[in-house]
Amino acid sequence: MNRRKFLRRVPAWAAILLAWPISLRAGILASPVATNRLRPPGAVPEDLFAGRCIRCGRCVEVCPYHAITLLDIRAGVFAGTPLIAVEQIPCTLCMKCVQVCPTGTLARIGQEQTRMGLAVINRFTCLAWSGKTLCRTCYDKCPFKNRAIVLDRLKPVIREDTCTGCGLCTHACPVTDDLGLKAVNIEPIYAHAE
Amino acid sequence: MPMQSETAARPAGPRPVQSGRAGGAGTTAGRYGPWRLLTLFLAFLVILVNPFLNYFFGINWLQGWYQSLGVGHLWFVSPLEGLESLLVTRSLYLPSLIGMAIPLLLAFLLGRVFCSWICPISFFAEIIERCRLPGSRRRGGRVRFGHHLIWFALVAELLLTMILGAPVFVVLSPPGLVGREIMMAVFSRRFALEGLFLVAVLAPELAGRRVFCRSFCPLGGLLALVGARRRMVVTLAPERCIECERCSQACPMALRPARGETLSVYCWNCGACVDACGPAALAFAWDGADPGSRAGVRFAYHFAQGRNEHAQEK
Repeated sequence: MNRRKFLRRVPAWAAILLAWPISLRAGILASPVATNRLRPPGAVPEDLFAGRCIRCGRCVEVCPYHAITLLDIRAGVFAGTPLIAVEQIPCTLCMKCVQVCPTGTLARIGQEQTRMGLAVINRFTCLAWSGKTLCRTCYDKCPFKNRAIVLDRLKPVIREDTCTGCGLCTHACPVTDDLGLKAVNIEPIYAHAE
Repeated sequence: MPMQSETAARPAGPRPVQSGRAGGAGTTAGRYGPWRLLTLFLAFLVILVNPFLNYFFGINWLQGWYQSLGVGHLWFVSPLEGLESLLVTRSLYLPSLIGMAIPLLLAFLLGRVFCSWICPISFFAEIIERCRLPGSRRRGGRVRFGHHLIWFALVAELLLTMILGAPVFVVLSPPGLVGREIMMAVFSRRFALEGLFLVAVLAPELAGRRVFCRSFCPLGGLLALVGARRRMVVTLAPERCIECERCSQACPMALRPARGETLSVYCWNCGACVDACGPAALAFAWDGADPGSRAGVRFAYHFAQGRNEHAQEK
C-alpha cells in the first residue's frame, strides 16, 4: 500500500471512528435483559454475557418447552444470545440448557441455585392484594410452593431467598395491565450483580 | 530455470503413479472434487436437519452448528469463537478448551480443511461456481483482493473485539450465521436480519471465487495460521509438470500450484489443483516422514515466489 492509497482511505476510517460513539448511543451495547426478559438459568453477569456466549444456539435447540428464543441483530452485540420471555413461555427449570452450554456462559447449576430474577408482586393490580378475589394462581403454580411463594392471610408473598425467577407465576397470572405487565413480574436483579 | 530444462530433457516415460488416477489429461472430474462436494453437502445437511430434529422430535443428540456443534456428549467449539470468548472474559473454561482441541488439531495437521471441506459458505460457493458460465471460471475470477488481507482481518477482528469488549466475529460469523438462520426459520418461523450479511459475503462469488474466504475471513486466517506448518500438503513433482497452468486455473484461492504455492499458508488443501493436473505432477502428501525434502520444497517455494514478484514488477 503506497502513501496515496493510504491517504485515500483516511476519510473512510475517520467516518467509522466518528460514527462509533453514535452507534454506541444507538444501543448496540445495550443489554436486552429487562422485566420478564431473562437469561436462561446459570447465566454469567450481563456485562460478561456478550463476550462469553459464542452464539451457538444449543441452549435454544435443547430447550424442550421452546422457552429460550434467539435474539437477532436488533439486539446489537447481543445478537444470537438466548433470552426467555417468561410471560410467553416460562422456564420449567429442566436444566437441560446448562448441561449443553460449551463456554460456561450458563454455569452448570441445580434448580434451586437458579437465580434468573426475582418475582415481584404489584399489590395494586394483584387480584388477591387489591381484594377483588381470592386468587392464588401464582402460589399454586410455583415449583417451590410454600417456600418461594407463601400465603400470608391468603395473599401471596415472595420469599427472596428461595425464588428462582423461573417465571411460572408470571406466565400463570390472570392479570395483564395496560403496559402488558402481569401482577407478578420477574425483575432481573441478579443480572448486573458481581 | 533448471526446472524447464529438466522437463524438456525428460520424455514422457512410464508413470506408474498415474495409472491409478481417474480421467485423462486435463480432466476436472478428478478424485477429490466429488468427494469434497459430498462432504460439504453432508456437513450442510447436519446443520440443516438438526433444528428439525430438535424442534419437532425432541432429539437432542445433535445440537448447534459450526460455532459449537454437540454430537452426543462430544462437542466442538470453533477456535476463533473460543479465543474471542477467552480474550474478552479473561477466564478459562475447560469444556470450551477441550472443544477447541479437535478443530485446532485438525487445522494443525491438515491445514484449512474446515474451510474447504466443511464450511457451509464453501458449500454455497461451490454450488454458485458450478452454476456459473464455464468461461468465467478463471484464476480466482474478476473480483480479487490480496491474500495477505486475511491477516489484517484476523488482527483487526481480535483488536476490535478487545476494544469493544464484545465479540465481533461471533455475532457475524458467516458459517455460524447459516446455522443461526436455519434455526431461526425452524424455531421462530422467521429469518434474522443479519442474514443479509451472508448475501453480502456470497454476492462476490458471482464475479470472483472465494473472495471472502480468501481475503476477509478471520476464522480462515486463524486456521491458516494454525496450519502454517501442516503435515498434509499438495506437493509438486517438477519433473512431471508440463507447465500447462491448469492447476492455476482450477485453484479457487488464486494460487499457482505449479510454482509451489501449495506449500504457502494460503493453500487450504481442497484438492482442486490435484484434480486438474493432467500429468499427475501434483498430489497430496503426508509430509511428516521426510522433513528434509519438505525444507527443500519450501525453499523452492520462496525462490519461486521471488520469481513471481519479479515477473509482476516487469
